[in-house]
Amino acid sequence: MTPKPEVFRAVAIGLLSGWLLLFVLTPNLLVAGVSVLSRNPAGFAGAPATLDNYRRLADPIYLHVFAESFTTALVATLLCLLLGYPFAYGLARTRPRLRPLLLTLVIVPFWTNSLVRIYAIRGLLAAKGAVNSLLLAAGLIDQPVRLLYTQAAEIIGLVYVLLPFMVLPLYGSLEKLDPRLLEAAQDLGAGPFRRFRRVVLPLTLPGIVAGCLLVFLPALGLFYVGDVLGGSRHLLIGNLLKDQFLEAQDWPFGAAASLVLIALLLAFLALYAVAEKRVAATNDDE
Amino acid sequence: MMRRRLAAFAFAAFLAPLSAGQRELRFFNWSDYLPPAVLENFTRETGIQVHYATYDSNEAMYAKVKLLGGGYDLVVPSTYMIDRMRKQGLLYPLDRSLLPHFGNLDPRHLDRPFDPGNRYSVPYLWGTTGIGVNAERFDPASLQAWADLWQPRFRRALLLPNDMREVFHMAMLVLGLPVNSTDPAHIEAAYRKLRELMPNVRLFSSDAPQILFITGEVDAGMIWNGVAYLAAREAPAIRFVQAAEGPLLWMDNLAILKNAENPNEAHALIDYLLRPEVARLISESVGYATPNAAAVALLPPAVRNDPVIHPPPGIIERGEYQVDLGEAIGLYTEYWERLKAGQ
Amino acid sequence: MQSLGRLHGILIYAFLYLPMAVLILGSFNASKYGIGWDGFTLDWYASLGKDIEILAAARNSLAVAALSATLATVIGTLGAVGLQRYRFRGRKFLMGLLFVTLMSPDIVMAVSLLVLFLGLRLELGLFTLWLAHTSFCLPFVIFTVHARLQGFDSALIEAARDLGAGEGTAVRRILLPLALPAIAAGWLMSFTLSLDDAVVSFFVTGPDFEVLPLRIYSMVRLGVKPEVNALASLLFAVSLVFVVLAQWLLRKERE
Repeated sequence: MTPKPEVFRAVAIGLLSGWLLLFVLTPNLLVAGVSVLSRNPAGFAGAPATLDNYRRLADPIYLHVFAESFTTALVATLLCLLLGYPFAYGLARTRPRLRPLLLTLVIVPFWTNSLVRIYAIRGLLAAKGAVNSLLLAAGLIDQPVRLLYTQAAEIIGLVYVLLPFMVLPLYGSLEKLDPRLLEAAQDLGAGPFRRFRRVVLPLTLPGIVAGCLLVFLPALGLFYVGDVLGGSRHLLIGNLLKDQFLEAQDWPFGAAASLVLIALLLAFLALYAVAEKRVAATNDDE
Repeated sequence: MMRRRLAAFAFAAFLAPLSAGQRELRFFNWSDYLPPAVLENFTRETGIQVHYATYDSNEAMYAKVKLLGGGYDLVVPSTYMIDRMRKQGLLYPLDRSLLPHFGNLDPRHLDRPFDPGNRYSVPYLWGTTGIGVNAERFDPASLQAWADLWQPRFRRALLLPNDMREVFHMAMLVLGLPVNSTDPAHIEAAYRKLRELMPNVRLFSSDAPQILFITGEVDAGMIWNGVAYLAAREAPAIRFVQAAEGPLLWMDNLAILKNAENPNEAHALIDYLLRPEVARLISESVGYATPNAAAVALLPPAVRNDPVIHPPPGIIERGEYQVDLGEAIGLYTEYWERLKAGQ
Repeated sequence: MQSLGRLHGILIYAFLYLPMAVLILGSFNASKYGIGWDGFTLDWYASLGKDIEILAAARNSLAVAALSATLATVIGTLGAVGLQRYRFRGRKFLMGLLFVTLMSPDIVMAVSLLVLFLGLRLELGLFTLWLAHTSFCLPFVIFTVHARLQGFDSALIEAARDLGAGEGTAVRRILLPLALPAIAAGWLMSFTLSLDDAVVSFFVTGPDFEVLPLRIYSMVRLGVKPEVNALASLLFAVSLVFVVLAQWLLRKERE
């Protein structure tokens, strides 16, 4: 006797919902609860209930921190996409037997602690580091360039740390792309650009979206890259939250900041979903 | 031999919990703050099994210990954290009769405001923060005071520690204000003063600052004496200057937690660490000065008389340790964030 | 065009492996701070071999990473199929919770999970680490597998069902093989994330179970521990051998 369809369905959905309710929803409800309490140095949070923590977030300094974090994460995400898309495309077009190996090789360096690798990058970019030595030897510069502790160094570090989280989902989407579709499009007289825009891009869009999410959202919280390569002269959301929870012991304010961040991002995602539906609808009309 | 030890270790790790009757101790310490041999010898001598776990900031240790309410016996907080934890009743009053080696400690480090009478804490390692300068870039003679760091010639050349308390401590010294002030007017004044320093700051970092000096990324800045000592060994041009306004003092201290399950074993380890030869070994391997006078006497003269590691008389007396700021820590953090966000 | 693509690929690999080269060189460099080359040495490996604690921490971390990646992949794959195939009440809500996981800052997740575990009276250690790591890995598996399954023609499954296959069998035979590359990618990402996590691990582990990243963080930050380079190089070499071996075995099996 074959099991009823409901059994598989119940297991698949039940397991996921149970897990998310227990380990994501419950802790976040705790956070929400803390966010309307007051700071209490003797016990992290306490009475009275208040909305002041949310009001404080309207201070220009925090808006500035949010804006700076968003731009940094956005630039890093776009760079990851620009570098990662052709790379994943190439991976998906190599001989099938090689693909698992090449794919795994993308991630092997990442099994080494990321802070260790960030420090290695710092060594490369240092005033007396390899990059400067090469440039000097090549005669391109006659004085070491200050590469470290700049916005550029920070972005390079972020791209480095996050690239595989763009490449892997993209690869998943690109690999199933049927080359015959492209041949068909070519036979119908579509040029390379048109083929890409009308065939490849729409079919791999889910991979692009997944990759961008997996890069952009974690990038917002990553602060050690900025601390090590950017010289910690800027404040990102990750720094802010760490400071509030640990240094200032202001858990209510930290909790409020974290929730507002999440709410903002969810709002963006919802907007995106609506826009996507609209676009899909107009495309169908064509 | 190595293989056998490893196998035994793997076996022991999976055998937890330990059999009843075994004396044990849970020690929560800074990472790489104790040579492993010390604990091995202690276990061999006393039969007390030490479970060693590490943390990398006072605040993280405090948050975890406080949330857990138990689980650890012995911790090593810095001065201001000892102050906060003792005021919040998180620490266990020490029993001096169990610490016969307490008398080895240098009285200059005892009975300081963060723990009057040392009822809760035993000094472990200490140091000073002074001015570091690369003599190839700037004449050390021209940089004698914290206030000199504000000179425009240091534009984008300075290193400051990525540590709010240290940076504000320095600014308070420059302004002649109480270094542990909780007065909002003082905190704001320090913030305004520091904002003027920002154009000179190349970076904030507390991670291995000696490397930044050695590689020439920074030419001057705030530096810990132990780090300056290490840097000078690699690059003699790097000098340590005792600032005219006075040094910043820091010290990490052994303390037993209120809810410790093994206070007697914790006392036993503290006393073991107070032995001159043990304290000397720790100081030499970690690279910071020991407050243990009997251990200092055992050091080779070159180290004992090094003015960077063991400052001449009169210096310590002019410095202050940080104490708990209470509610004011929120305001400090806010100004620290403003400073970094450039507002 | 093709060779341009290949060049891009090579450059990306170079970018990814360059820091590893620096670490490996540093692990043999007698200079303590890796400033200039002071001659070849094996000292760092020797002193690493004596550090029993860090070896134990490395073993613990690998165990947590393998366990968490596997559990996250199982729950995540099932979940992704569920989200893809069925329309049910609360589906959007579950998606929302996945986004929330992905954007929860480390420190917030760490503290809130610790409070939860304490409330559930769980003993802190391997088990709580496993739960926490599985949680933050889940969205990476689900979004990757879900993206792969999108646009899949469910008529195939319906056909199999008409032929008498159960839902579970149909999914296993048809959807899973299709999703396999994404499932593998999800596992790899999860393993990586788990190995790298320091903040969450610090809070949810107990006094008897130390993991590697925190130790490494402090060692790097003190800057006086070239053993870190030795450890990183060693783990890197082991993983390379492991990966190539796995590939070779797979190929043999197919032949």
